[in-house]
Amino acid sequence: MKKIKSLILAAAAFSLTAPVFTSCSSNDSDENLDNLVSEYTVNDNMVAAQKAKSGKDEAVLLVAFGSTWNNAFLAFDKTKQAYEAAFPNADVYFCFSSDICINRASVGENTDDEGNIVKRDYYEPRYLLHAIGAAKYSKIYVQSLQVIPGEEFAAVVASVKKFMNNGYIAKAHLDDDYLAKLQEDEAIFLGMPLLNDPEVDVPEVAAQLNALYAAEASQGVVAFMGHGNPDTYDTFKANVRYTQLEVALQALNPNYYVGTVDMPDNYKQDVLGRMQEKGINNGKVFLHALMSIAGDHAHNDMAGEGEEYWDPEEEESEDNSWFEYFKNKGYDVQVPVVGNHPLGLLELPGILNVWIQHTKDAEFLEDAYHSMYPEE
Amino acid sequence: MRFTLFIFSILSFPLLLFAQNGEKEVSMKELVVTATGTQHTLKDVPVQTEVINRKMLDSFGGKSIEEILSSLTASFAFAEGDMGSQMQLGGLGNSYILVLVDGKRLHGDVGGENDLGLIDPQNIERIEIVKGAQSALYGSDAMAGVINIITKKHTAKGFYADNSTKYGMHNDLRQHNTFAFNIGKVGSQTNFQMQRNDGWQNTSEEFAEGIVLTDSRNKTVNAFRNWQLVERLTYRPLNNLELYAEGSYYKKHICRPQDGTHPSCDVYTYNLRYNNASASVGGKWVLGNEADDAKRNYLSFDADWNKHAYYYDYTVGTYENVLLKGEEYGDLNGEWYPVLMKPGQSKLQSDQQRVMGLVKGVFYLPFENTLNTGVEYRYDYLNAPDRTENGSAGDWTSALYVQDEFNKLGWFNLTAGLRLVGNRNFGVRLTPKVSAMFSAGDFRFRLGWSQGFKTPTVKELHYRYLHVMGSSTFFNIGNVELNPQTNNYYSANIEYRGRKFTASVTGYLNKLDNMIALVNVPVGEIPTGITTAYLGDGSGNVQARMYKNMDDARTYGVDVTLSYQVVKDLTLTSAYSWLNTEANMYDSSKDRMNSVTIDGTAHHKWSASAMYSHSFSSIYKLGINLSTRGSSTRFYQNNGNGKPYQIWRINTTHDFGRAGKMLAYRLELGVDNIFNYVDRTMHPYHLGNNTAGTTVYGTFGIKFNYGKRVKNNILLTKKQITNEED
Repeated sequence: MKKIKSLILAAAAFSLTAPVFTSCSSNDSDENLDNLVSEYTVNDNMVAAQKAKSGKDEAVLLVAFGSTWNNAFLAFDKTKQAYEAAFPNADVYFCFSSDICINRASVGENTDDEGNIVKRDYYEPRYLLHAIGAAKYSKIYVQSLQVIPGEEFAAVVASVKKFMNNGYIAKAHLDDDYLAKLQEDEAIFLGMPLLNDPEVDVPEVAAQLNALYAAEASQGVVAFMGHGNPDTYDTFKANVRYTQLEVALQALNPNYYVGTVDMPDNYKQDVLGRMQEKGINNGKVFLHALMSIAGDHAHNDMAGEGEEYWDPEEEESEDNSWFEYFKNKGYDVQVPVVGNHPLGLLELPGILNVWIQHTKDAEFLEDAYHSMYPEE
Repeated sequence: MRFTLFIFSILSFPLLLFAQNGEKEVSMKELVVTATGTQHTLKDVPVQTEVINRKMLDSFGGKSIEEILSSLTASFAFAEGDMGSQMQLGGLGNSYILVLVDGKRLHGDVGGENDLGLIDPQNIERIEIVKGAQSALYGSDAMAGVINIITKKHTAKGFYADNSTKYGMHNDLRQHNTFAFNIGKVGSQTNFQMQRNDGWQNTSEEFAEGIVLTDSRNKTVNAFRNWQLVERLTYRPLNNLELYAEGSYYKKHICRPQDGTHPSCDVYTYNLRYNNASASVGGKWVLGNEADDAKRNYLSFDADWNKHAYYYDYTVGTYENVLLKGEEYGDLNGEWYPVLMKPGQSKLQSDQQRVMGLVKGVFYLPFENTLNTGVEYRYDYLNAPDRTENGSAGDWTSALYVQDEFNKLGWFNLTAGLRLVGNRNFGVRLTPKVSAMFSAGDFRFRLGWSQGFKTPTVKELHYRYLHVMGSSTFFNIGNVELNPQTNNYYSANIEYRGRKFTASVTGYLNKLDNMIALVNVPVGEIPTGITTAYLGDGSGNVQARMYKNMDDARTYGVDVTLSYQVVKDLTLTSAYSWLNTEANMYDSSKDRMNSVTIDGTAHHKWSASAMYSHSFSSIYKLGINLSTRGSSTRFYQNNGNGKPYQIWRINTTHDFGRAGKMLAYRLELGVDNIFNYVDRTMHPYHLGNNTAGTTVYGTFGIKFNYGKRVKNNILLTKKQITNEED
């Protein structure tokens, strides 16, 4: 009897917590599937509406990594407008490959050029590309807004391949005949990053930058800060473009330097080393961002001012800004700004034109399509 | 200098009055169990133990365990935030502090910090604090110390019920209820608690987008609400056998601002939710029948299951990077893919489960030896579909411990313990602990040395997630290359415990090797395959951080506590803690050692209180508690240091009801932060203290007791606590 009583007590205690054993086993997989399908549909509908409205039969998809900064959103707006002017027969779409940037941009209230509050929704390249396919545009350009053909660009290439191979869940497959026709018509194009071709793009970009900053270079050093891929991820060995750009720029004026945040052996201290080798130990240093937009890196890593950006005990720390670093090394450092912000490359018309030209010159993606029914 | 003077004046406060008064009993009978697992009076416990007793708790009227620990001792530092309580003891963070509830490990963390909301502040009998890994009983991973929360147990025959409702500014509500009965051999106790607060914002300034934004909606403390239900059943089939079964359920919501406008810093697309549950069974079998309860051998066993699950509750559409697994995904099977989560949907981030079993025995042997020995097994399981490489990970640890107290000489007590720890990944390790105590009159001198050994947690090994803090985004990454942490803790203590006056001075040195910390790493160190998905903000505003073994660290300090009963109705207490930390980390990129700050540490901390209580008639008793606490500058590696602060608080208690009646009432009125100290340092820089400024609150309590008198006696008898070491 006593045994039974204690068993009942134990059972009662466990029954109290029993719901937690079962209540949290959700059908995650079903939810994921439903969410995938509905998001394809949302994107498909949005693009279909745009196509119906414009009546255009070509699409340009611009892929940027993304940002959460308002000045960057303004730069993206202007980029899209410039593309619309350059491709009057195409609907221009803009997407971020960073999910966090999309999530955050869609919730915030951003301001436009006049300070009016606007809402900006950006899209995910994989869904947006699906929607462009579902709308059956007869010609598609995908343009990477990256600076070097590195790791981020590789992700853009992968999503285009996935698209052409109809790599979606069964419920969201595109019309395979349409994809075959894109291939047959040679109508799917991939636009390359800014510094793609060392023979063509690098000298062109150098010339454009020199056109803008020759006056500064005549007064002192002009140092550009790029991002770069870290050692282990130097995809396509793309880091070399920064070095090539410096060589091209120095051919125009020896006062130009190009360094990075992440590329090994090309940090701020390496730029300083190269300056000192040439005997430049003081004087003016103008800092510019060599990035598509001026966000956190340009504002903090490059232009950051004050003790928060300077630890004298560890001068080469990545937390020390270029501004403080060169200032403390005895230079007169200046960060030219427009409306309180340094400029990103997309905001320089001459540079933006290089990207636009890349889209116009984009090569047909041979061999991208493989039928999902290979046995047929 | 200013601090030194201030601290001196606070500490000397009780001393100045000491000279004038006769002696009267104060805390002679207080019993503690944490350090050795056996009962000792506080005066004669061989390992120095700090106690926050029922009287202090009642007088203080704290709303949370954080408030209690930071106000009634000087040992702890907190920075209450979204991500748990960020508790520190002796310069070391939460993962080095073992929090026990009635001797059992609290389970469940929020961003690596224990969720102290699991502890109902109204249901605490007393709190015992033992610093360092001094106890062989609780695992060697308590490198900073052990906090044992002893809960109230209503074991008297008959029915008991109480209600306490506390309400304060910022819509702060703390609700507590107990219902208990003991009939025949069966007992039941049900506890309910609820806590909520709307949060507050000390500043709308935030440094983001390269400028100071003035309309940030980020709060200093976010709104939260949680509730908990605990049921404990006891059954005594025999006089010398008690069995119990216990279960609990807990839920917590943290609500983040939904009205922010800046994508760079104050917009959120989901809230946070935690579900915690536990079930346990156990028993205690008393052997022999010595006259003295406290000298009877016994065996006990416990089996526990705990769960702590963490969810995102989406408030707007949010792309989540999800590992799609299953044939139904077709070509996407096995890919990390963005899935748009919809408002109202939830997603499990992590589910930590733990199963523990413990069998132990206490044996009173000849020649005044007390042997305490036990075997413990623990299995940890982590289910985190999108935050681990394979979706889940597990680890087991088992331990065997032996501890002997030798007390033959009377004036000398030697307590020595050994704990043998075995772990699936890290093999077997033996850690010794030795404590010696010399008695001379009312003076006690204690020396202690202990070794600790802490294997990396499952999360430290395998967990990876994006941690967004305002404008900063961190990608935190587990590291399977980690080694166990080890430490040596040395302490020396002198204590005087007279009838009215007690004073204790403790010096300690804690040397840690292979200390695990989350440190900034270059992007290149992020494991391949997860970079692109997690780089986050296009402006590159993501800092990768990885758990790493820092080469070594040492913390050392002095703790002083004083207590003085001026007259029967008035007691003064004060505490001061001095701390210094040194940590070194190997920088592989530059091949050298870097000296780093242990985040959040301050050199000086102090607290003091005056407790007054007086019965003005047989039905009314007044209590007044005036307390203060403060800290010097808190140091951080990034985002500035926290300002020094000093905060004052007053609590008044009003007890109504005649002794022996079924009903008793209590009213509490108080003001926290009387002088309205507010730290308005802009986001995202560190605050010294995140108090909201002056806060007024009131509490109404009622107790119902049928079958036995309501007792106001706060001193414990040995019988009352027979279960507390379980």
